[in-house]
Amino acid sequence: MNGEPQGVTSAEPIATRSAAPMWIIVATLVLLFLGGYYFDRHSGWFDARVYAPYANAENLEAFQPKSGAAAALARGKNVYNGVCGICHGPDGLGKPGQAPALAGSELVNCKGISRLIHIPLAGLSGPITVAGKDWNLNMAAMGAALPDEDLAAVLTYIRSSWGNTASPVTGDDVKKTRGQIGANPQPMSGPQTMSQPE
Amino acid sequence: MKTGISVFVATLVALGASWCGFVLLPLLQFGGAKQTVVLQSTDTWPVQRTGAATLGLQAYRANGCVACHTEQVRQTGVACELTLTSLGVQKPADFKDFTRSLFVLPELAAYTNALTASLNGWNGGLPQTLLTSADKDLIAEMADRLKAVGVKSETRIVSTGADVARGWGPRQSVAVDYLYDQPVQLGSLRAGPDLANIGVRSPDANWQLQHLYAPKSVVANSTMPSFKFLFEVRKIVAAPSSDALNLPKEFAAADGFEVVPTPEAKQLVAYLLSLKANMPLYEAPFTPVTAAK
Repeated sequence: MNGEPQGVTSAEPIATRSAAPMWIIVATLVLLFLGGYYFDRHSGWFDARVYAPYANAENLEAFQPKSGAAAALARGKNVYNGVCGICHGPDGLGKPGQAPALAGSELVNCKGISRLIHIPLAGLSGPITVAGKDWNLNMAAMGAALPDEDLAAVLTYIRSSWGNTASPVTGDDVKKTRGQIGANPQPMSGPQTMSQPE
Repeated sequence: MKTGISVFVATLVALGASWCGFVLLPLLQFGGAKQTVVLQSTDTWPVQRTGAATLGLQAYRANGCVACHTEQVRQTGVACELTLTSLGVQKPADFKDFTRSLFVLPELAAYTNALTASLNGWNGGLPQTLLTSADKDLIAEMADRLKAVGVKSETRIVSTGADVARGWGPRQSVAVDYLYDQPVQLGSLRAGPDLANIGVRSPDANWQLQHLYAPKSVVANSTMPSFKFLFEVRKIVAAPSSDALNLPKEFAAADGFEVVPTPEAKQLVAYLLSLKANMPLYEAPFTPVTAAK
């Protein structure tokens, strides 16, 4: 007792009203704003492309048809419009002075396929007769650079569109013909084409 | 009124919140919708209507068609359909035995009845639907097993639901289908059939006109009212009009008179024929039947 100074007591700690530090308030508001912006940005994870019965985007993606005849035809149509349709026309009716029609053509609508595969792989120049009309034009080897599957798809497309009803062509058929005619084939002449077996 | 300000603010907040929920948010979510691409194709969807069909939408609206017809196909599920396309070197009988040997697989337990039914009624003709299931993985596994024994198959995505079964459309309606509808005529009551695909289901304009003039002349038990006021009954002056309806006797006009559609009737039919929602889209995928041939 003697060691302590007389008459002086340490003050009791008391709670007073004081404002919270401003930086906490500002940081909270900023975080709330960013959170709200993020939630809104993602529409609360609502996806405008997903409808019931699909649960979410992944589920919807799993049900996208990826193969089958429809896919091959669609692929063929894409290739056709990019490569062949420029001259033969998107409707397969051909263009005067540029290319004969594919719709109803006996070179397209035939039972065998090797001659038909030969034409885009090697090209064709000289007089031919298509559906009763005479043509004397040059076609480059437009299909030589296409992958087997793409060329098969485009031939399948032209053989089953615009009223044509011939059988589909497979990638193996194209591979076989490509092997037969070699790497640097000469363009077929018109009479050679017309006399070649299907 | 002491609380005037509070009432005003509370009202503003309540109305503002519902406006945000019903108008602003849907606009943010769908307002930017634009033409999309048909699945596995380069065609765009939907197709802009012709002038007559655009006017026809207003005729559809003016005549209250939306009171009894909807323009929305509903879909309750999605399924994969496994179809045999080639048996390779296998005989149908061998293939049946092979499929029955798969019945021991636990994941096939729920499908043995369906598989047995589709095999029993099968005489070896192709293509033949083998199995339909919502379980995509199971179908993929089946396709792999078939491929391993040299059997070729094709997996189709099909929509299921009552509307699809009625033939009202191959898939459900989605928001982008209504891109060019102003205003959208969704409808909520089906006193008559759904019209989302009427342009595919009844593509004959003359049939549509006759159906508008005298519904019972083409659909015997139709409850649709006759829209005779969209047609003009007039005297044949020199030669009959090429537009005149070719009606059965009991519905036809008197001798020497003919029934001719007004421009409004033609526009309405042009609009009806433009109603086609049968293209597969990313948001509503399915495998079209015609292209699969």
